[in-house]
Amino acid sequence: MKRRSIGALALAAALLVSAVAASAGSSKPNRQQATKIVIWLQNDAESGWKEMVTSTNDAFKAKHSGVDVDVQYQGWGDHLTKFDAALAGGTAPDVIEFGNSETSRYMAAKLLQDLTAQAKSFPNSKTWLKALKDSCTYNGKLYCVPYYAGARAVIYRKDQYKAVGVKSTPKSLDQFAAAGKKLMKKYGKQRNYSALYFPGQYVWAGLSFVYDYGGKVAVSKNGKWQGTLNSPQAIKGLSRLKAIVKGLSRANKTTDEANPQQSLVFSKGRVGAFIGNGWEWPYALDEKLGNPSLKNKIGAYPMPSHIAGKFMPTFLGGSDVAVPVTSKNKALAYDWIRIFTSNSSMRKLATIGKQIPNTTSLASINAKNPQLAPFATAAKSSWFVPTAPNWVKVENARVLKTMFQAIITGRKSVAKAAKDASAQITKILNAPTT
Amino acid sequence: MSQGPGGEAGFPAMTATAAAGSAMIRRRRRPVAERAFHVLSPYLLLAPAALVIVAVLGYPLYLLTRLSFEQFGLASLITKKGTWIGLDNYSRIFQDRQFWTVLLRTFVFTAVNVGLTMVLGTLIALLLARLGRFMRLLLTTGLVLVWATPVIVAVNIFRWMVDYEFGVLNWTLTKLHVGDFLNKDWFADPTTGFAVITAIVVWGAIPFVAITLYAGLSQVPAELVEAAEIDGARRWQVFKDITFPLLLPIFVILTSLSIIWDFQVFNQIWLARGSEPEEEYWLMSVYSFVEAFKLGEYGFGAAIAVVMVGAMFLATFVYLRQMIRMGETR
Repeated sequence: MKRRSIGALALAAALLVSAVAASAGSSKPNRQQATKIVIWLQNDAESGWKEMVTSTNDAFKAKHSGVDVDVQYQGWGDHLTKFDAALAGGTAPDVIEFGNSETSRYMAAKLLQDLTAQAKSFPNSKTWLKALKDSCTYNGKLYCVPYYAGARAVIYRKDQYKAVGVKSTPKSLDQFAAAGKKLMKKYGKQRNYSALYFPGQYVWAGLSFVYDYGGKVAVSKNGKWQGTLNSPQAIKGLSRLKAIVKGLSRANKTTDEANPQQSLVFSKGRVGAFIGNGWEWPYALDEKLGNPSLKNKIGAYPMPSHIAGKFMPTFLGGSDVAVPVTSKNKALAYDWIRIFTSNSSMRKLATIGKQIPNTTSLASINAKNPQLAPFATAAKSSWFVPTAPNWVKVENARVLKTMFQAIITGRKSVAKAAKDASAQITKILNAPTT
Repeated sequence: MSQGPGGEAGFPAMTATAAAGSAMIRRRRRPVAERAFHVLSPYLLLAPAALVIVAVLGYPLYLLTRLSFEQFGLASLITKKGTWIGLDNYSRIFQDRQFWTVLLRTFVFTAVNVGLTMVLGTLIALLLARLGRFMRLLLTTGLVLVWATPVIVAVNIFRWMVDYEFGVLNWTLTKLHVGDFLNKDWFADPTTGFAVITAIVVWGAIPFVAITLYAGLSQVPAELVEAAEIDGARRWQVFKDITFPLLLPIFVILTSLSIIWDFQVFNQIWLARGSEPEEEYWLMSVYSFVEAFKLGEYGFGAAIAVVMVGAMFLATFVYLRQMIRMGETR
């Protein structure tokens, strides 16, 4: 008797569950009315120029009453994995930020809304930075809107440089290394002190050495890609990097520049210089996380080349914003982007975030500000990743991080690490696009 | 059993009048229905659970297997349609040199981790059996706390302990003059890196083994042990010839479960390497995840997962057969 009643109970429970599920399913269509748009921005905006986001949302809400804006900040490490999962699950955002080296694969797969017809409706569309506009263009069509560009420069402790007798900023890589040596001599006894803080997986600053010596990551010949990190020039650059890091850096060799945030490590005092983006300067002075008392002790200068008087090419990083094809609120999404990339927003980005705005018409803001000028100067000689649709897979497979880590920890010789990475890059870039 | 003869006895009666026959049948019907209920009731009772398992496990497994025969890339995420490519994903796996490296690494990792877990777990269980009441309570509480610690918390604690700049382990080892461990990066070399990861995994797995074995130990008759000791058996002999054979079924189950768990370790590696494990740290689960979700090769990643399940079944099967044979020879 007891057994039977348990069975009946289980059956009843099962029926109840399915009934609840059915009723939940039927009540869904009632909530179709869109009252919220979801925006995915990278957390650089959160730590660097949140005011720009807040003011955009306020202006947007004033224009579209009743529409809520939900900004969700993402990290660079996993935002694409999350985005892919969200696409499959039908919960992709209405607007998403991409790094300018991440867009090609999504444009090729037609997962981003074609904006060619609306291009002119976005502010400054005629004067967008060419490098950013190129990263939004695929087969002649526009798939995203430029957001900002970033160039890296050396951010350093003026007081420490002065204390070891370095009066003017280094004008060549040799001078840079010599200044570092002096710093190590004076401060090197402090545990963990680095004259140049350079974590082992810092790909974007590391590759600049390759380009400085005339090397490249990959070249395209007759429609086929060829990884070229094992070229003699590239190996020269990588070897120079290894020597400099070995002598000047005590940073962790198996982490990247964001874990921990290098500007915060810098703010703790045991770093002479690091290679960073414009926004990392004010971030080091952050009241909660950084050290505001360094305010008058920080300066910046473009990283010098191995050829005296020239600058080392910097990676022209940056971001774009796009609307996934799955968005159900495209018109609202476009309008949010229009406000987000308007002149007043871009001014905030430049002055508060210390970034390079998406339009050449605002270039003069940077030139006047001593805190921005070194980065703007650095941006004048720059390099960019190969424009292959599969490029982002090279980043996702962390081929370059693996290579730099192997070189800097010394687990592989420079030649071997570069050869392995080149072979992998060739394989990935020539694989069918999926 | 008593139904059998009754039925046979009823058979000749069928030749009697029709009325009597039908009465016979009516009389026999009840036992048949009852018997059917007796036979079927376990299945009926299992049905809801089985249904749930099929729904939440069987269907995804079917989808996974189907996906492993498809080319399913980024664009397919929206169209929800892959292209059937037969066994291509599988032939690609077996031609991939990386797969064989990862497979071998996974087997070695599993063997080391299961071995350490079982040995240390057994030692702690034996210790528990000999401790006084208070110390036993203390140790059991400690074990339960370890068991209750979420993986994310545990991994972060271990990461802090071996932190490059501030790690307390590095500091302690240096103070003890074991060597200069300040600024020692444990993850720079996969051997020391895997040592840390193994420590996390084994540390987390010991409580379950120790507590279960302790429960088993309390069932070993004290007279048997006493008799053996009187006969002059040493402690090791007592364990080998009395305790172990008696607890063999528990050992078999615990080892099988440990193999299944350690073969698919993912979280500890993923978290210890900051969501971006180097290739030298890939085990099967990580390899499958990276291919599927980082590189957008969902079909290929699914095929790796299927192969992984197969390899795990094989490993468990071989182990179980070995253990059963061992039991038979005794």
